[in-house]
Amino acid sequence: MKTSYLFAHWFKTISGILFVLSFILFVSFYAFDQFGNFEYKAKVFAIIGNDGFLGNNDIFDWVENSIVDEVLATIVIVSGVVFAFAKEKHEDEMVQSIRLHSLAWATIANYGILLFCYLFVYGLPFLNVLMGAMFSQLIIFIILFRYKMYRFYTTQQDEE
Amino acid sequence: MKNNIKVQRAIHNLTQQDLAERIQVSRQTINALEAGKYVPSTVLALKLAKLFDKSVNDIFELEATD
Repeated sequence: MKTSYLFAHWFKTISGILFVLSFILFVSFYAFDQFGNFEYKAKVFAIIGNDGFLGNNDIFDWVENSIVDEVLATIVIVSGVVFAFAKEKHEDEMVQSIRLHSLAWATIANYGILLFCYLFVYGLPFLNVLMGAMFSQLIIFIILFRYKMYRFYTTQQDEE
Repeated sequence: MKNNIKVQRAIHNLTQQDLAERIQVSRQTINALEAGKYVPSTVLALKLAKLFDKSVNDIFELEATD
């Protein structure tokens, strides 16, 4: 069976390394509140933007913003999606079935966690939940799929 | 679903790796098929049947739970 939506196998290693590095960097910047210390201001185009919580909304306008987090988030998301959907070395229908299975479970688990957080996290800390929700499904899917593939590759040769 | 791929493979004197290469899947997939952990697509079932020169019904069999 041919699949057209997967990325070539050679993307896997490079996107995997890039994803892990950029994700660790992003999480540590966010957790230790370092985005303020590494600023690089630039004029960016905003569909909707405002300064701080009480500023007026600028609609379809150019606004000034530090782009360090935008660049990092772009690297995390692009490399994450490519890594998650790169072809395996021996891509066959069973790998596809494992991928689909992992994706389904990742979606269910992700929305389970989100619903839990929605019901039990209130106020400003909820912003952290929203931040986590940006990446959670991708992360859960990658972990689940890699674990299942590890189990798949390490099955003992059963021959007589 | 039951299958007798392992028997057919022995008759044709193929290893799991040989069979995997002939029908363009991974060795682990053959392993999972023989262990009954994976039900192949119609395309893969037909490829196996063609390779073993049998009909699909001779290789695969429905079980009561299917």
